[in-house]
Amino acid sequence: MNLALFSPGLLLAIAVTLTALSLWLLLPRGSESRPVWWLGWLLGAVALAGFVCAGKRLGGIGEEAVFLTVSLVTIVSGTATIVSRSPVYSAIWFALTLAGVAGVLLVLGAQFLGVATIVVYAGAILVMFLFVLMLAQPSGLASYDRVSSEPLLSAVAGAVLLGLLTLSIGRLSVGPATPEALALASVASDSPTAPAGAAAIDSLEENHVARLGGELFGRHLLAVEAAGVLLLVALIGSIAIVSRGEPDATDNRLALPPATATKQPQGVPR
Amino acid sequence: MTPLPLLQNALTVGAILFALGLVGILTRRNLIVMFLSAELMLQGISVSLVAWSRFHGDWGGQILVIFVLTVAACEAALALVFVLQAFARTGRLDAAAWQSLRESSLSRVVDQELPSIDTLPQVWPTLSPAGVLPQADENEPLQREHV
Repeated sequence: MNLALFSPGLLLAIAVTLTALSLWLLLPRGSESRPVWWLGWLLGAVALAGFVCAGKRLGGIGEEAVFLTVSLVTIVSGTATIVSRSPVYSAIWFALTLAGVAGVLLVLGAQFLGVATIVVYAGAILVMFLFVLMLAQPSGLASYDRVSSEPLLSAVAGAVLLGLLTLSIGRLSVGPATPEALALASVASDSPTAPAGAAAIDSLEENHVARLGGELFGRHLLAVEAAGVLLLVALIGSIAIVSRGEPDATDNRLALPPATATKQPQGVPR
Repeated sequence: MTPLPLLQNALTVGAILFALGLVGILTRRNLIVMFLSAELMLQGISVSLVAWSRFHGDWGGQILVIFVLTVAACEAALALVFVLQAFARTGRLDAAAWQSLRESSLSRVVDQELPSIDTLPQVWPTLSPAGVLPQADENEPLQREHV
């Protein structure tokens, strides 16, 4: 197939249309049909190829096989997350998405964040989701898992958003090194002489975690404290909501005793 | 890979993840899948932030992703508590179970009749039998009952 026949704009439009169609075919609409399902995946693959070829500079996506692989895993499992009929399968596909995202972060040089994504998301948050599914999921496939609300409009909205984002991403370019840009780069990076090029990129690689920790607990110490308070408030708040919102809250053993009972009598020697 | 194509590829992956999460949160009706879609959008944002962080050689994006992780953990805890409460009150994980809270001008969501699900039989894995079937002892189940 000679994709050079199409102009990038037309190619992008076709890719957007195919994305919307593919997502609409894949989303649950009440009727189950294997050929429609596979047609949706096929259209999605074609649309992805269209997105790859649409931007002039996006053609270089095949340069790094690792990046291509992990991004493909991420995209396919992310699609499967939102189109799976069973929420348990959604959660499992989301775990694979997290693995792909961690791979992308590793390729981008964020080693600590790649590992933290696996540990925090897949190890804690996803397990929490699965616990809630275990507590709350009725047996069998529920009717509301087999239909979507406005699947066509939602798929079109998502595909159009994706097309617009791809347009603006494809128009990114490194301008000529103006003095303002160089000044910005020297402010942004640690070394004052590093341009916003290859030299500045490799400056994040060496001694990565130690320098990230230094940055986090140095410039952003107040934000770390605020995040700690936020975690504490979320912990106390979720426990309070769970224990107060029970439908059969007749058990008042945990209620505070009357204030007179807890008051210390005056004048009693210790 | 040179910096700019790497940035563009990573931003494209982030945009795709964000759009997928958007579609999921707009259209799915299971509350838990909706929150999974929100997490998917957060993942897309994280990829974009780290891509910019690498492109500029700046720590800001990665620091922001750490706080995104923190806030996502808090959000997931509180949201799942609310999901559990909603399930305790209605017995369903359906977002449309709360449609009495809608605007008075909107029409009510009515589920259409769904075709039978008999077309998707559950197939369990089986093992082919091997070896000799052991002799059954009638007293053995009684002996093992209290173990």
